[in-house]
Amino acid sequence: MKLRKQIVALVGIIAFSLIFFTPGCKTPPAPSEVEQARLQEQALWGAGGSVFAPEEFQKYESSLAEARRALEREELKIGPFRNYGQVRENFRQVIKQGEQVESLIKSRKASLLLEIESSRESLYAKYEVLNNLSLQLNQRGYARPHLAQADILFKEVDRLLAGLRYEEARGRLEEISSLLKQAENILREQLKRYMDQGQIRQWRQMAERAIEKSKISGQTVIVISKLERTLTVYKAGQQIKTYQVGLGFNGLNDKLHAGDDATPEGEYKIIKKIGASKYGKGLLIDYPNEEDIKKFNEAKKKGYITSSTRIGGLIEIHGGGKDGLTRGCVALDDKEMDELFKLIPIGTPVTIVGTTDPNNKIIEILKPV
Amino acid sequence: MKNLMKISVLGFLVVFLFTSCAKQPTQQIDEAKAAIDAVVKAGGDIYAKDELKKLNDDYNAAMDEVNAQSKKLFKKYGKAKEMLAKVKADADSVAQLIPARKEEAKNNAIAAYDEAKAAFEAAKAILDKAPKGKGTKADIEAMKSDLAGLEAQLAEVQAAIDREDYFGARDKAVSIKEKANAISEQVNAAIEKVRGR
Repeated sequence: MKLRKQIVALVGIIAFSLIFFTPGCKTPPAPSEVEQARLQEQALWGAGGSVFAPEEFQKYESSLAEARRALEREELKIGPFRNYGQVRENFRQVIKQGEQVESLIKSRKASLLLEIESSRESLYAKYEVLNNLSLQLNQRGYARPHLAQADILFKEVDRLLAGLRYEEARGRLEEISSLLKQAENILREQLKRYMDQGQIRQWRQMAERAIEKSKISGQTVIVISKLERTLTVYKAGQQIKTYQVGLGFNGLNDKLHAGDDATPEGEYKIIKKIGASKYGKGLLIDYPNEEDIKKFNEAKKKGYITSSTRIGGLIEIHGGGKDGLTRGCVALDDKEMDELFKLIPIGTPVTIVGTTDPNNKIIEILKPV
Repeated sequence: MKNLMKISVLGFLVVFLFTSCAKQPTQQIDEAKAAIDAVVKAGGDIYAKDELKKLNDDYNAAMDEVNAQSKKLFKKYGKAKEMLAKVKADADSVAQLIPARKEEAKNNAIAAYDEAKAAFEAAKAILDKAPKGKGTKADIEAMKSDLAGLEAQLAEVQAAIDREDYFGARDKAVSIKEKANAISEQVNAAIEKVRGR
């Protein structure tokens, strides 16, 4: 009997202790704001909070952690003494803070997108200018591999932007910027003579001299302007015909030696008329002239070209098409070549210059920053 | 009365033994952490980004539970252990998903590279058919230079595959393919122009 009483008392005390000291079924549920904050935190993380608003997101995380600690402290209390009022308020504040972070993320994303898009737009405008210039130059495009790479990267940028991968898109834009700079530098180096006013003045004087000679003697002369891709016929100082022409693969360069695919610059004359060739009719000029030989010998002496390099020759004005690239000759469409052939006698002076325009398109596009 | 006192002390002792002497589940914590680390090491931040975030959240929640219990007079780590065991099991499952996802991304990148290379080779072959040397159309010459740019970018795709940047490699390869196809079309148009002259 005594033992039974003792057992009952022991069970009673254990039951009382468990109920009194441990939180059990009486625990009131945590405020709904706790779960709401958890979901919000996940959403903010997913939206890139740590990337777009790192400082604010960090502060939000700290506030959330603090609110959770307060919740834990409250949960340590015995059920009947718990009061979630303050905890709820804390979580509401956190949620409010989260809403601010969310709107900050949205606005920063929007402004980053704007910045990227505007950078893309301005780089693309530059790409188009350089691309068009390199196409218009109608010669071997040393800058084009860089431009083609930039074009591929533009496609990547668009794909990355569509996938909201802004940072990667920004990285690609940096690569594009560098490629465009390289392309621009190549073009600038290739075309620097066309931006040099002293050189342009010299070319202009050569062209004016030819026209003046035509005026005085009544003779027919030809003036070829490489940048504008024009061949103009003057008679008695009057312009009587202008044709569009094609030049060498490196036509904008001044010819120095055989195989450089450049079109020579200087004062020449027609020395032979060729009635039929692979490229239709042809007018052979007297390249190399004295000036060319002097330049060639100097270059050889200075070691710019090897001793076995030859000066070349057989530079003609011929048919075959103005949109073709030659090894240094000047090409016209066959029909126009036929017409020119009739107009030009042997001995006609031919002046080939880079350009006579002091405000030419290259200066306009590549003007020094 | 004396017996009642003894019984009371014994009772409290029993409660104390059952509630207060629970140890922190350090082994489960370490295992859960190691399992998450394995996910990260396997490339979880690339191939299982969302799953990794959930694992970290669940781990933090489990640790919150551990911390909450550690402050209590009568500690009960049962729930925390369950949570940690779930984190470990989930992490193991995620880790198993990654190789297949990585393999899929790799295969996609390689397939995209092959397609880009094929498009590049096709453009090159068409260009080889175009008129050569003196009289070559300037636009064909320009496209030859463009192909040189494409070739450089193709090498970048291979480099991206080699450094396991499969998504980046795929994106670039797709762009190269588009450009190569555009060049092929332009070359064909240019050749037609020559034939029509």
